[in-house]
Amino acid sequence: MHSRLGIDTGGTFTDFVHLGPHGLVVHKQRSTPDDPARAILEGIRHLTGDDAPLDVVHGSTVATNAVLERTGAKVALVATRGFEDVLKIGRQTRPELYNVFVEPRPPLVEAELTFGVDERLDASGAILQNVNEDDVNQIARLIHVRGATMVAVCLLHSYANPAHEQQVAAILRKSGLSVCTSSEVLPEYREFERWSTTVVNAYVTPLMDRYLAKLEQALRTPGPPASRLSIMQSNGGCISASAARAQAVRTVLSGPAAGVVGASSVAHAAGFPRVISFDMGGTSTDVSLIDDEIGTTTDSKIGDFPVRLPVIDIHTVGAGGGSIAYLDTGGALRVGPRSAGASPGPVCYGVGNELTVTDANLLLGRLDPDYFLGGRMAIDGERTQRVAEALANDVGLSVPELAEGIIRVANANMERAIRVVSVERGHDPRDFALLAFGGAGGMHACEIAEQLQISTVIVPRHAGVLSAFGMLVADVTKDYSASVLKPSTSLTMKDLEAACAPLVETARTELEMEGFPPGRQVITRSLDVRYIGQSFEITLPLEADYREAFDQQHGKTYGYSNSARPTEVVNVRVSAAGVTDKPSLPAIKRVRRATKATPTAVRPGRLGGKNVRISFFRWDDLTSGASGLGPAVIAGGEATVVVSPGWRFTVDGHGNVVGTR
Amino acid sequence: MKTSPIEFEVFKNLFLSIAEEMGVTLCRTGFSPNIKERLDYSCAVYDAEGNTIAQGDHMPVHLGAMPLSVRAAIDAVRMEPGDIVMLNDPFRGGTHLPDITLVSPVFLGRKKTPTFYAANRAHHSDVGGMSPGSMPVAREIYQEGLIIPPVRLVRRGVIVDDILALLLNNVRTPDEREGDLAAQIAANRVAETRLHDVVSRYGRVKTMKYAAALQDYTERVVRHAIAGVPDGDYSFEDALDDDGFSDTPVPIRVKISIRNDQAVVDFTGSAPQVTGSVNANYAITLSACLYAFRCLVQDDVLYNAGVGRPIQVIAPEGSIVNALKPSAVAGGNVETSQRITDVVLGALGTSQPERWPAASQGTMNNVTLGGTDPRTGRRFAYYETMGGGMGGRKGMAGLSGVHVHMSNTRNTPVEAIEHYLPVRVRRYGLRQGSGGRGRASGGEGLVREYEVLTETSVTLLTDRRRLAPYGVLGGLPGGVGCNTLIRDGWEQQLPGKVEMTLKPGDRLRVETPGGGGYGEP
Repeated sequence: MHSRLGIDTGGTFTDFVHLGPHGLVVHKQRSTPDDPARAILEGIRHLTGDDAPLDVVHGSTVATNAVLERTGAKVALVATRGFEDVLKIGRQTRPELYNVFVEPRPPLVEAELTFGVDERLDASGAILQNVNEDDVNQIARLIHVRGATMVAVCLLHSYANPAHEQQVAAILRKSGLSVCTSSEVLPEYREFERWSTTVVNAYVTPLMDRYLAKLEQALRTPGPPASRLSIMQSNGGCISASAARAQAVRTVLSGPAAGVVGASSVAHAAGFPRVISFDMGGTSTDVSLIDDEIGTTTDSKIGDFPVRLPVIDIHTVGAGGGSIAYLDTGGALRVGPRSAGASPGPVCYGVGNELTVTDANLLLGRLDPDYFLGGRMAIDGERTQRVAEALANDVGLSVPELAEGIIRVANANMERAIRVVSVERGHDPRDFALLAFGGAGGMHACEIAEQLQISTVIVPRHAGVLSAFGMLVADVTKDYSASVLKPSTSLTMKDLEAACAPLVETARTELEMEGFPPGRQVITRSLDVRYIGQSFEITLPLEADYREAFDQQHGKTYGYSNSARPTEVVNVRVSAAGVTDKPSLPAIKRVRRATKATPTAVRPGRLGGKNVRISFFRWDDLTSGASGLGPAVIAGGEATVVVSPGWRFTVDGHGNVVGTR
Repeated sequence: MKTSPIEFEVFKNLFLSIAEEMGVTLCRTGFSPNIKERLDYSCAVYDAEGNTIAQGDHMPVHLGAMPLSVRAAIDAVRMEPGDIVMLNDPFRGGTHLPDITLVSPVFLGRKKTPTFYAANRAHHSDVGGMSPGSMPVAREIYQEGLIIPPVRLVRRGVIVDDILALLLNNVRTPDEREGDLAAQIAANRVAETRLHDVVSRYGRVKTMKYAAALQDYTERVVRHAIAGVPDGDYSFEDALDDDGFSDTPVPIRVKISIRNDQAVVDFTGSAPQVTGSVNANYAITLSACLYAFRCLVQDDVLYNAGVGRPIQVIAPEGSIVNALKPSAVAGGNVETSQRITDVVLGALGTSQPERWPAASQGTMNNVTLGGTDPRTGRRFAYYETMGGGMGGRKGMAGLSGVHVHMSNTRNTPVEAIEHYLPVRVRRYGLRQGSGGRGRASGGEGLVREYEVLTETSVTLLTDRRRLAPYGVLGGLPGGVGCNTLIRDGWEQQLPGKVEMTLKPGDRLRVETPGGGGYGEP
């Protein structure tokens, strides 16, 4: 049998979660940013030797970083003549309202590589003007001369009729150029968003292609011949490396997506199908809502650029454990978005001089100084105390008041993020458990849960490598869509099924090619529906009573609905999954009856606004069924859990800490 | 009672997120392209006196005006729980007639008077009057559309059908209006629910205390910023091209006096109110001044009533910056507001040129189209505004093709326009060479060319077609805008403010101004 391996390449560490003959094994390796594959291969060798065939699922920030750091390919754009500037103009807004020094945002395509071609379709897809092939031949020549790696072909109304884009692409390909068209990347209306997605794809595809080719090659050399490489996508599923190499834009937000997949898997296994996942790292926090199923959205951005493909609905705020606290000119205490990051890091790491959220946790006695990150990192409490005293003086507070304040301000930011994914989407956070992970998530979970009146928190056993774990359990998924833009009254179920049919067929063929027989394919069809005249759609399953379902959902999300108002179907969507073998989460040592856990130490600290004596536990020592009462701290090698007064914690059968109040 | 710097951040987040949630609801449920695609609206939360506690980052031109609307609603209507008051009267805190404001009281417990108010203002693409889209070249406000004084649209939770029927019978696109009003009601309901949540969690006294503290805080930050401007009197003058009825420029003059941490902005000497629709009411002039001083602060402080406290605005009654009823005002909100901003920033720039950009496009280039769609037989009224060049800044060129200062609405996608209207867009791009040259050049304007497929009435309300956006420190002025009719192959230049009927196949080209340059080229 193949063993499975999830690999998450991050900025500092490359995480591995391996499920093989010896069960689940976790490994961390320093990343090698100059050549990410090196760390991957070293890690594989460390974990598996060369013995067993491997299914590797990989997620990386290669594509993300290429966009954020502007190191992607040289891209040419071929657009409908007269509309070459659409990407430069965007939606004609400035990003900051009151900043007259707002920075320009250079487009991904250089001016000299932007070309217009004579052609035109109308909104129904009918041809108004044929493609001028002489134009295209001339453009092909110039692109060769000016040297672009990839061409994005973006024509108006191609969602309604891709013929012109295909015609242009064929000519360019014949001349030896690599091409992607907006109708194959995202066949949906609104030119700026569709073209932007297409250009981002062209920008990252060559780079990912090279990276993955190299990785596949490398995996083949030392490993067994049957090694297979899949790549994590932003929608939470994976695809074969060869598919990822063709449309890399689908992988740009894969890291956080894998974390949510891991969170969902852990949550279900622990018996909590409805959770808000809360991934708090050093510089930022990712929040997402899982209502039995993971929520997706098509309204996302990478850097400044909209990418309208289905991605897991994640809201990110610029506050994490490393966020810096400071006093602004009006005398308010602010936390973040500036972060001390990994270097210089929080004051307690011994280099930085600016107080961070992690320092505040230390000052309040919520970290185990003898066992920080499992004892791998020594922390300097005196140094932190000194820096804190200076700032506390400026604010006119005591050090504990200041530290509590920093935590509260950081938590207020987090709370706002959670409201965005819950309340703004029509969900009451009280109906959910809070699943906290990332290095700092467990330290804030109870307090944030209290603010939102959530009564259960879960901190997974593998809180530090949940993204890699998510890759291990991800299905192969593919999304397809097509524009419809017709009133519901003019569409029968047959019409809608017919609109989906070609997408379903493509989905089945592609899954087959990825090695999934029909019995392991799950195909779901859905519709984007809105009241005629609106611009935002609600996605619903394709069912005969979708109209009623729409009113219901609209009422739930926005507070009103009107069954007399006509609706229209904007897009049909098909989502196809190839179901992989799921590893079952390993159980930890079990004792027959719930036992009271024994603390390793009891120290003074502050929790819940009071001076309290905090019981310290080592996570690794706790057996399944062990329980205790807050105030408590559970210190593990990957994460720390702070249990507030009034909370009871229990270690479940998988080693997760579950807190209730 | 002492406030804590910590609770402070917590409440700031709470109030701001309420305003933002209102905006999300309005945008996602709105019907007209102007609301759902272009986001031409503002949402905010007010205290018991109608002072702004927090306003979302929506439309700057609504900043100063919204609280005056809330005040007018409070004064005119004795609100009860569940009521929503509607108004658009520009002489009672409105901006121009298409901007309809809904004000909701928030009652707590058994208290007889509201503790908070929530309000949102959205630009409706038609409110009746002499031309589709209600942005006409008019002589008096009665031609511009239906004037709505503060009246209850919702009474104790139930829509007042009489009022709604009166409104819907006076507009060209009643279905769309009804849908947009439903979205506005939903946005206010979100705020009511959230404010109740906050109070049940933190208590009324504490919530009110921090609502006040947030305003004091913003005031402190703005005072601190004003103190950073050297004491002195700074004057500046610029003008609108014309009022649409004569060719005479309409000058706006300002003297800003900075004394320590206070500012007096005095418009004495500006032109008297005019025949055409470029008259600004006081609310707009106030908004422009508040915007300028908010820009002095580079932290992300909350926009609220605190901004206005250190600033006194003197706008003589009956002048172009404080026009009186029944003058026409449709363009005051969109055009004159930009020129007022130009002179205020120009004056501040004479004290510290390195802190301010050269003039930006100084217009919103309002385009209104109306007629009957041959595909459906239904009437349409469509409104959009266009971005242009931002002025050059120290060390940085101006942005190209963006909305500047008092507006930040989005464009409507070409594919959306062509889907919903009998209009074809022939060209949409940057207008190369329109940015004023300078050490840092002004941003480029835009060009958009519409071809109408059916007989269509069009209204253009545009400025900076004659008088260019100024450059500073030797930078050259930005290129003026240009409106052109293309009929049967002939091009004809159109005035800045014009109403006309286009025949099928006619094309209208709107070229927007570039920004002024900064420093000698």
